[in-house]
Amino acid sequence: MNEKSVSVRNGNFQVDVLEGGSGNPLLYLHGIAGLEWTLFLDQLAEGHRVIAPRTPGFGGSTGTEQLLDIHDLNYFYLDLLDELGLDNLPIVGHSLGGMFAAELAAMQPARFSHVALAAPFGLWNDSDPIPDLFSISLPELATAMYADVKSEPAAALATAPQARMTEVDPSTEEGQATLNFLVERAKSMSTAAKYLWPIPNRGLSKRLHRVTQPAQIIWGQSDGIVPPGYAERFAAKMPNTAVHVVPNAAHMVVDEQPGHVAGLIEGLLAR
Amino acid sequence: MKIEMFHLCPYRDLPEDFREKNRSVWVDVPSHLFDAEIASRTYNETLDELMYGAEMGYDGICVNEHHQNAYGLMPSPNIMAAAMSRETEDVAIIVMGNSIALYDPPIRVAEEMAMLDCISGGRLVAGFPVGSAMDTAYGYGANPALLRDKYAEAEELILRAWEEKELFSFDGKYTQLRYVNIWPRPMQDPCPPVWVPGAGSIETWNHCIDKGHLYAYLSYSGFKRGKQVMDGFWKVANAAGVDNPYHAGFLQLVCIADNEDELHEKYAAHTEYFFNKMLHVYPGFSDPPGYRTVDTIKAGLLAQTTTFGRASNKEATFDELREAGNVVAGTPEQVTEQLRSVARDLHIGHLMILNQFGSIPHELAKENIRRTAQEVIPKLRDMWSEYEDHWWPQNAIVREGSAATPTPAD
Repeated sequence: MNEKSVSVRNGNFQVDVLEGGSGNPLLYLHGIAGLEWTLFLDQLAEGHRVIAPRTPGFGGSTGTEQLLDIHDLNYFYLDLLDELGLDNLPIVGHSLGGMFAAELAAMQPARFSHVALAAPFGLWNDSDPIPDLFSISLPELATAMYADVKSEPAAALATAPQARMTEVDPSTEEGQATLNFLVERAKSMSTAAKYLWPIPNRGLSKRLHRVTQPAQIIWGQSDGIVPPGYAERFAAKMPNTAVHVVPNAAHMVVDEQPGHVAGLIEGLLAR
Repeated sequence: MKIEMFHLCPYRDLPEDFREKNRSVWVDVPSHLFDAEIASRTYNETLDELMYGAEMGYDGICVNEHHQNAYGLMPSPNIMAAAMSRETEDVAIIVMGNSIALYDPPIRVAEEMAMLDCISGGRLVAGFPVGSAMDTAYGYGANPALLRDKYAEAEELILRAWEEKELFSFDGKYTQLRYVNIWPRPMQDPCPPVWVPGAGSIETWNHCIDKGHLYAYLSYSGFKRGKQVMDGFWKVANAAGVDNPYHAGFLQLVCIADNEDELHEKYAAHTEYFFNKMLHVYPGFSDPPGYRTVDTIKAGLLAQTTTFGRASNKEATFDELREAGNVVAGTPEQVTEQLRSVARDLHIGHLMILNQFGSIPHELAKENIRRTAQEVIPKLRDMWSEYEDHWWPQNAIVREGSAATPTPAD
C-alpha cells in the first residue's frame, strides 16, 4: 500500500489517498470510523488496484469547511475522481461512505460499472428509526458497531477517552496524546454530522432509482447503527441489486468479516 | 456595579424520585410529568417575582431561552420580556437571549427585539447566545458543526438590519433575503447593547472582544470554577487592551437568612432540588460533534464547557454546594462580603443573581429577592464607579452610586 496527498481545486483540498494492489481500479469510500488500510482492503487488493481516499475532515484530509452539505460533498468527489483520472470502475462504500457511493452512482451512473454498499446511511423510516449514534455512550456505540463486543476494536472503542469524562492536563505528554485523540475524533465526527445530523436523510431516496448498475447491498446481521431492515429499503429502490446479510457482523461488517465481504464483491464484479 | 436579577422560570414540582427514574431534565424529559396547571402558576409567579425584583431595586431583570427543559420553561423569553417591558418603568430588560442561529430567517429576532425596545422605551439588552448543545443541537436539531458559522452570519444580519438606514439585500450562506427592511426599528440608537452569554469557549471570548460585546459567563458552577473561566476571558481581553469590568458579567446563586439554622431550614432542600434534580442532564447530550471547536479542545477546556454546572454528576448536599461556591448563602453581611470579593476576583461589572432557583416557593423567593435587593445590593453598587458602563441600555435606570452610562456621542 502507498499513501499520497492529492490536491483538488488547486490546493483547496489536500486529500489522503491510499492505494494498493494491481489490476483494474476499484474505488473504496470509508465509513464513520475513518480510513486505515485494513485486512479487508488487502483482500480486495488481491485482484484490483484499490484506491481509497480519505474524506475531508478525517485524518489529514483538509477542506471540510468548504463543504456545507451533501451536494458540495458530491461535487468534491467528482473533482477528485477527475483529478485521479478514474472512470468506468466499481465503487464500494461502507457506512457513511456507502451513502456517498450511492449519491455518486446516482449522479453519474455511467462512471461506475458496479456498486457495492455495505451498511450505508442515507434512508430514514419512521417505523425503524436509526439510533442516535452521536449521543449514545461509547460502550453502547461499541455494542452497536461490533457483533463481538469482546473483540479488540470493540473494547478499544468502549474504553476510549471522552471529553466530558476526562480531566486533561495539556502540559503532560499523556494529556497531549489524549487531546490529539479527542481533536481527531471531534473533527471526524463533526464531519460525519454534516451529512447525518440530526437525521441521516439528505434526500437520497429521491435519487436512488438512478443506481441501475449491477449492485449489491451488504449488511451485518446485528448492525446496531443502521438496522438491517434498511437493506431491503435500499434494494427496493435499486432495480439491479442483490441483498446479502452477513452473520456474526454488525456495522463494521467489512472489518468483522473481511473475507466474506471481499468474496461477495468479487461475485458482484463477475456479473 | 450593576446588579441584575436572573430568573430561569423552573418547573418547581418534579417528583421526588425524578433522578432515579429519568435520565435527563432536558431534551427527553418525559412529557407526562408536565402539568399545565402547575406551569400556569409557575409563569405567573415568575412574572410576579421579576416585577418584584424591579420594584425592590435591582438594576435589571434577566430572562433566558431554553428548549425541552424542565428547569427553564421559557422557550421564548421574549414573551416574558414583553410583559415586563409593559409592566416595569425603569429597569433594564435583559433578554439573555435569543439563540440567533436557530431562527430562520434570523431577522425575526431583529424584529421582536426592536418591538421590545420600543415597548420598553429603550431599555432592552439584546442577548445573543450560541446556545447550549441541548437547546440547539438536540432540542432544535441544529447541526452542531455549523452552529457557530450560522451564528456569526445571523449576528451580522441582525446588526446590519438594526444599524443600516437603508433597505439592503443579504446573500448569506444560510439566509438569503432580497429585501431587509425591518419595521419596527429599535428605539436605542443605533441598537440595544449586545450581551453574549457563554459557557467558556475561547471563540466566544474572542468574539466578544472583537465586536465589543459584553461577555457573560452563565453557569451554575459558582465563583470558584467561574474564576478559571473569567481569568481566561481577561487574559484574552487584556491582550487586546481591554480591562473595563463592565465588559463582563457573571451569574451567581444567592440566598439570605439571619442565621445558619434558618438558612438550612429555608434553602437547603430547594438548593439540592436545583443541583440534583434540575441539573440532572444525560451526559450524551452535552458534547455533540463539532459543538466545541478544535481550539477549545486543544486548550484543554474540557470540563468547564462540557460538565454542566457541577464538577461531577453525583448528588451534593447544601453544605457541599456552598463550599464549592455553587451558591452564596449567609447573612446579608456575609453575602455582601462574599459577593464583593467575587466581583473583585472575577473583575465583573455586571453581577446577575438568581434568587429563585430550584423549588424555592413564591413567598420565599420574594423574601430572598427583597432581602438581597435591600440589604446587599446597595452596598455593592459603588464598586467599579471609576469605569464607564458602555453596555447599559440608553434609557434604563442608573441608580445612585453606580457608573454612568455614556451618551451615544461618547
